[in-house]
Amino acid sequence: MGKTLENQSTLRGFIDRFGMPRLIIAAFVVLLFVMAPIVGADLTMQIGNVINRFSWNAVLVLAMVPMIQSGCSLNFGIPLGILSGLLGGTLSIQLGFTGVASFFVAILLATPFAVLVGGGYGWLLNKIKGGEMMIATYVGLASIAFMCMMWLLLPYTSPTMVWGLSGKGLRTTISLDGFYDKALANFLAIPIDPEDGLYFPTGSILFFAVLALGIWAFFRTKTGTAMTAVGSNPQFARAAGINVNRMRLLSVIMSTWLGAVGILVYQQGFGFMQLYMAPNNMTLPTVSAILIGGAAVNKASIPNVIIGTVLFQSIVTLTPTVVTAMIHMDISEVVRMIVSNGMILYALTRVMKGEGSR
Amino acid sequence: MKNKQKFSLGRLLQGNIVPIMFIVICIICFPMSGYSPAYLLNELVTRMGRNTFLVLSLLIPVMAGLGMNFAMTLGAMAGEIGLILVSDWQIWGIPGIILAMILSIPISILFGIFCGNLLNKAKGREMITSYIIAFFMNGVYQLIVLFMMGPIIPILHDTLKLPRGYGIRNTVSLLNMRQHLDNLLAINVAGIKIPVLTFLIIGVLCLVIVWFRRTKLGQDMRAVAQDMEVARNAGINVDRTRIIAIVMSTVLAGFGMIIYLQNLGNFPTYSAHTQIGTFSIAALLVGGASVEKASISNAFLGVFLFHLMFIMAPAAGTAVTGDSMIGEYFRTFVSYGVITVALIMYEAQKRRTRSATGHLLALAQQEEEARAK
Amino acid sequence: MKKRNVMFLCLLALILVGIGAIMMVIGRGHTVYFDNKSLDYEGKTYESPYKIEIYQGGNADGESVAKLYDGERGSATQIGQKITVTLVITQEKGGDEAEPAVYTIDLPYSMDGPVINLPAYLAGLPEEAYLSEFVPVASEEPEEETSDDDLGLGDDMMLGDF
Repeated sequence: MGKTLENQSTLRGFIDRFGMPRLIIAAFVVLLFVMAPIVGADLTMQIGNVINRFSWNAVLVLAMVPMIQSGCSLNFGIPLGILSGLLGGTLSIQLGFTGVASFFVAILLATPFAVLVGGGYGWLLNKIKGGEMMIATYVGLASIAFMCMMWLLLPYTSPTMVWGLSGKGLRTTISLDGFYDKALANFLAIPIDPEDGLYFPTGSILFFAVLALGIWAFFRTKTGTAMTAVGSNPQFARAAGINVNRMRLLSVIMSTWLGAVGILVYQQGFGFMQLYMAPNNMTLPTVSAILIGGAAVNKASIPNVIIGTVLFQSIVTLTPTVVTAMIHMDISEVVRMIVSNGMILYALTRVMKGEGSR
Repeated sequence: MKNKQKFSLGRLLQGNIVPIMFIVICIICFPMSGYSPAYLLNELVTRMGRNTFLVLSLLIPVMAGLGMNFAMTLGAMAGEIGLILVSDWQIWGIPGIILAMILSIPISILFGIFCGNLLNKAKGREMITSYIIAFFMNGVYQLIVLFMMGPIIPILHDTLKLPRGYGIRNTVSLLNMRQHLDNLLAINVAGIKIPVLTFLIIGVLCLVIVWFRRTKLGQDMRAVAQDMEVARNAGINVDRTRIIAIVMSTVLAGFGMIIYLQNLGNFPTYSAHTQIGTFSIAALLVGGASVEKASISNAFLGVFLFHLMFIMAPAAGTAVTGDSMIGEYFRTFVSYGVITVALIMYEAQKRRTRSATGHLLALAQQEEEARAK
Repeated sequence: MKKRNVMFLCLLALILVGIGAIMMVIGRGHTVYFDNKSLDYEGKTYESPYKIEIYQGGNADGESVAKLYDGERGSATQIGQKITVTLVITQEKGGDEAEPAVYTIDLPYSMDGPVINLPAYLAGLPEEAYLSEFVPVASEEPEEETSDDDLGLGDDMMLGDF
């Protein structure tokens, strides 16, 4: 009797710690994988797709980690990083780089923008502690709209990027064929189903692993632990003599830079560069991915990134095929919307640790 | 006392920075756009009739300390569902508009209660939460309209349904109630059509808001906005009061959406509501409102200035750069920019007040210590 | 106090439902089609006149909603269950117009598009003879994808006509 009670309470504790929605989503994904072969979907191909989509998105999700850890909340301002990445990418093509080189040049060119923008953004976030999320959202939206004007006005000339007729203004979608399309994915790629063009993107996964390892190691350095301390308990951190604002600024710059790299990795997998309003579509899925992975509004880790991205991308890849085959209605779009935004809502309505002290 | 005089002018400027910015933008845009004043005035009157009700629906949550209700989109969705049903039942004209409003009420109340409960769990983060609720409920709206209308909610007319047999088409035509509200009692003054009835309805809403502020519930809301703890100790049911504020806003937003759409004459089923929150909030903020304080005059001035910019920006953009898209992006940028600036000012202000209180407390403590010695 | 509130709310809901019901009756819209065609009914042929001019409302002022020659069809929209029309009939080509005559025709609630055969109606035949329903063919517009962006959260940040 006592034992079952104890079991129950540990189960309860487990559910509480893990969160009901997360369990439901995980169960849903497992169900999708089980149902996939039953409804006649090619499981190898589905898994291959999930892995590929993981390799596109993982770095973007990783960009959430530093800011969450330092207590700057969910990075709804990731469009700033993405825009820096887009600037890097377009400049790299404009300067005439091709192939794999163009990818690394793009990262190099994006870095100063990311540092500059991230610095300004971090400075702003330090001024408005407590209201980060809302302001981050609108800073992101406003900068996307601002860059929309810039894409039209900046003097780009590369014929692959500008509109053919007028010869000025960047296209909405730019093909990266011949530039950094699959720049990472093709490195040591292992064929899964070559007839369908399905490969294991070893290079992209390795690239993510290196970055993730870097972040993991960083949070074990003195600066890194200080940053975590700022996130989990600002009062304590201040008392311990940590410069809270400096830590937050640093984390924002890191997040922004990772966002810039993340979008470039996404593009090399996807094969296209999307400009104008497109960066807006990345924000909420990225935020919800890390939350699905188990992160809280002020605590995130590398496993959260990996689990979250895998779960989220599984939903994205599998629902259209599996659910459509089961009920003959393509409700994948709706499922995706409800799951991703529902997850963010869940995280927002949880009581934050140490909130009472605010 | 001594610094009171010092910041009177500075404070006036600072407090109204957004409207002033907007007036400057409008003055700059006006000659560049090349529009005649008569044309502008005509457009403005139409747009004021169309949008003011929606913007007014934001006032009550601000009064209750919930900030800008980004989830007013939920009301817009409820209004759209009402309109879809009414156009399926072929109820036309003013009766159709009234019926759509009545149908939207229960849906709005349901959505509002849901939203209010979530916001009560996210105290201190209301705005971002309501922002996400709008996205979340957009998914639910699609589930209802795209999949449940047909098999579960009966839709009689095939002309309204997608060819596959369920779900509503991408555009719903409201031809048979188009501008019926605006045209009834409309008068023409020097070539400018004034939709008197629409303005009358807006006027009634203004009176209701003024009256509501003085009721017990309205006072409660203001008390909750001041300090939840104090309000609770005074015996006010804080959570319930906040839910009522959201429900009222949602219902009003539903009415506002119906007034807005009957003027347009048709609506894109799946995207009509997506931006309504952002633009209404931007308009209210342009009128000089802040996250904590918004008045009816803010709403009117805001709709006026915001739409003046909205009308002129594309033409001005084309005139300057030769590209019409520039103006479109510019006005989008300005809408988001205004909200950003207003939010930053609000948060900065909050922090200043907080540190000022902290400073006072510290001073008091020092004094006490000194006295103890 | 509490009980009174609940009562008040119930009453309010009831009133709203009542108004809704009234709106459903008075607001029902019909697209009324008028046919000027000969009709065979119970072995008798009702010949159509040369021309009928239809005016909506109780007089022949203003613009006519339709001018129907033999064999033509015209339409008018009407909110409510009755339509009042004024008809000006010309029997023969080149003949004189008859005096305007006012008719009020009942429209069944369930029909979106009632078709009224005027020769049959004017001859005083029962409703089943002159009334039929127009069934529109649903236009097959190509199904547009509701969304094709990659992450499914909508890409319309802008509202063209706000």
